[in-house]
Amino acid sequence: MENIQIVADRTEEILKEKDVQMAYFTVSSSEMREFNVEGGEFSLFRTLYDSDLNITVYKDQKKGVVTINRLEEPAIREAVENGLKSAESGIADPDHGIAPKQEKKVFRQGVYEPDIERFFARSQELMEDVKEQFPKILIHSIVLSHTKYHSVYRNTNGTEFETYSGAYSVSLGFAGHEGEQTTSLCGSEFKTESLEKPFISLGSLKKDLEDAQAQLGPVSLSGKLDGVLILTPQCLSELLYGVISNFVSDHAVLEKTSIWMDKLGKKVADERLTISAAPLDERILCGQRYTQEGFLAENYDVIKNGVLQSFMLSLYVANKTGFERAKNTSYAIVIEGGDMSYEEMIRNVKSGMIVGGFSGGQPSVNGDFSGVAKNGFLIEDGNIKGAVTEVMISGNLSELLNHLVGISKETVADGDKVLPYMAFTDVVIAGK
Amino acid sequence: MLGDFISEKRQLFSAGMHTELRAQENRQRKVTLAAGNLTTNSRTETAGVSARVYKNGVYGFSSMAECSGQAAETVLKAATENAVFMDGHIGKGKGNLPAISSGNVLLNKEITDAGQKSYIEFARELDSYIVKKYPKLSSRTISVMADSMEKRIVTSDGYSGHIALPRGHVYLFLNTETDAGIPVDLFCAAAGGFGNFEDHFTDPAFFYPKIDELYEKLMHKREGVYAEAGQKTVVLGGFLSGMLAHEAVGHTVEADIVLGGSVAGPALNKRVASDLVTMVDYAHTTPFGPAPLPVLLDDEGTPAEDAVLIKDGILTGYMNSRETAEHFGMKPQGNARAWSFSDEPLIRMRNTTVLPGKDKLEDMIASVEDGYYLTDAGNGQADLTGEFMFGTTMGYEIKHGKLGRAILDTTISGVAFEMLKTVDMVSDSVTWSSSGFCGKKQIMPVGMGGPALRCQVMVGGR
Repeated sequence: MENIQIVADRTEEILKEKDVQMAYFTVSSSEMREFNVEGGEFSLFRTLYDSDLNITVYKDQKKGVVTINRLEEPAIREAVENGLKSAESGIADPDHGIAPKQEKKVFRQGVYEPDIERFFARSQELMEDVKEQFPKILIHSIVLSHTKYHSVYRNTNGTEFETYSGAYSVSLGFAGHEGEQTTSLCGSEFKTESLEKPFISLGSLKKDLEDAQAQLGPVSLSGKLDGVLILTPQCLSELLYGVISNFVSDHAVLEKTSIWMDKLGKKVADERLTISAAPLDERILCGQRYTQEGFLAENYDVIKNGVLQSFMLSLYVANKTGFERAKNTSYAIVIEGGDMSYEEMIRNVKSGMIVGGFSGGQPSVNGDFSGVAKNGFLIEDGNIKGAVTEVMISGNLSELLNHLVGISKETVADGDKVLPYMAFTDVVIAGK
Repeated sequence: MLGDFISEKRQLFSAGMHTELRAQENRQRKVTLAAGNLTTNSRTETAGVSARVYKNGVYGFSSMAECSGQAAETVLKAATENAVFMDGHIGKGKGNLPAISSGNVLLNKEITDAGQKSYIEFARELDSYIVKKYPKLSSRTISVMADSMEKRIVTSDGYSGHIALPRGHVYLFLNTETDAGIPVDLFCAAAGGFGNFEDHFTDPAFFYPKIDELYEKLMHKREGVYAEAGQKTVVLGGFLSGMLAHEAVGHTVEADIVLGGSVAGPALNKRVASDLVTMVDYAHTTPFGPAPLPVLLDDEGTPAEDAVLIKDGILTGYMNSRETAEHFGMKPQGNARAWSFSDEPLIRMRNTTVLPGKDKLEDMIASVEDGYYLTDAGNGQADLTGEFMFGTTMGYEIKHGKLGRAILDTTISGVAFEMLKTVDMVSDSVTWSSSGFCGKKQIMPVGMGGPALRCQVMVGGR
């Protein structure tokens, strides 16, 4: 594998030689080790050696992007030339730009060198723990990996950021299974930098396994249910993605399809709700440290106490629309815990449902959503009455945020985001 | 063209261990014009070599982002060591995989490369047509995309080959607003398919009728109403029944999913659909012509052949890798495919379709007293239980056998093996699509198709 500092020097020289005035690039090398479990048995051990060079060049305010994974000099030269040709074919746009020069930084995140023997031992222990503690769980797949990542970012304003990062990542797919009866496929995943604790105790895995087992023997719901919907952190994450994509993302603002276009500084959600994009939060593992344009990442609030504080915009769309750019461009969403326990939240529900996952169409541009409520449990008079299947939920994402019932004290931190349980009204819950 | 630096490395394969060595290059070209702004103008090329080695029931795999004989030797060594590591720790004690026939598959399609300028100019032509003809749209997005896989495969005991799968598509997104100012959108993969840029994108005017059709539907949707929630009689258009074939049935009969507890496990050789339903995963050629995305050879060295999944309503088979085929006592049919050089082969669909019947679409619509005709969908998912959902983006009410008002976005769902038993009319022509990626650890281009089906599904609504 090539030394990536040498590749970065080479790339920079070629950009200078071609008289490129504005550009940024990232050179990276990575080593991934991955164990796979299929059908409940270890099946595969992978070792991947990868490299990558992503170059964005501008010529006369026209942009071209090229990505290659060959790092020898002729390949880099060809990539720069292709990038320039692409740019020349493009459309001049005064709103393209990159960050002014930033101080050189080296970031070291997570665990760079893996302990493979110990990682594998923890993986085997996880298999045994699931088998012993959750006898009605059928493991569909587990992917356990460690990726060691080294990158160098430079831009033509003289900024250089170097990153060394690594994390263990665990992702499970499983179902409750008894005889010929199978529940929905459930998932649970988390990242960690430590092998000190058994994997079964991390993220929300134990709770997710318990819930999957409890899904056996579900009943169907007849007609519509007028009540409260409690979303697990996993399900909440899926719906929040719709909120971000439809209301605050680059494309929604650039194309002016966001229904929050004129809501900056105004109330868009219940005042108890604060949504932050916080890659520097200590619970986020290997979070973003700089944006592609070369700005250092900072945490910021998208919504604070129900008021829209910021769109999640790149520099380009910010320049294009006159809004401020986002202080980071990650999806490291953090919602802090609220004032009631998850148990209290359930106890307060006269009629409603807990939803563990959402399988639905992309929400409409106006925020309307509908889909199948997965891994659901009915609640009656403050008690969980059992698993329920074939239920559809529908509503509007913007309205949902204004019909908040409560936020749980408990949060789940999976390394990528931190989310609580949240309860809402004003959602149609419909059975057969 | 990807050079051959791996054939001579066959001599380094370890005796008694099934070994695959694969060199691969993927290319992607993407141009997006959003509201007239060129927001994406990118070219990606990744290439490398990988090896996978099977030892006593476990695999070792390794890849390197380098196309050289030395890299091939490195990954062979690392994959073998990984297989030995796993065998040493797990010790399943299985023998080698059953042998399959051997041979060689020759390159089926040469990949050519159009410059980025061609993509941009094509997108700009379409954009200007939309702006001139439909100035009242609130926004529009045009994406012209192409991707390709080129592979050289050498195996210890199967076929070797040099194969390519290039494709390109145009995606159109149109936005408008209702009189009340509520945004409404609609998109479609306008055209394209297997082949290089010049095979599909020579004349922008060819796409103009697709734009006009999309605009007309959007105007219907602008006046649309919410669907009524509940169990309904619907006519699923061909695009949706193709999605049904892929998502709701196809995934549940992938043998690795069966081993993970899919509902198809206990359903083999049992009735899972009405006798009007036959479903096949075609390899490269269908009774109606070439498959949308032909697959001649998979990445385990198995020559591709059709997999009949449902025959006259009876579940007759699964899609397999060589390992799962041995487990289930079935024949591997070339379904084990990998997206990138650094990916291991997984069981994937190729061109999955419900076969056409004898009914005319207009008769099917006329036969529905109160229901929906659903024509377009955005995404779909299915579950081990066969419970599926599709996000439908376009459809119409059917009242007393006649099409009525358009409906807004909604979701339909059902349990595949129950819903398929309600199919009582099947149209006489198949609608194919090949623009999507299937997601299953890795992405993979797949073809899917189907005729219109009259059936019962759950409709999400207000």
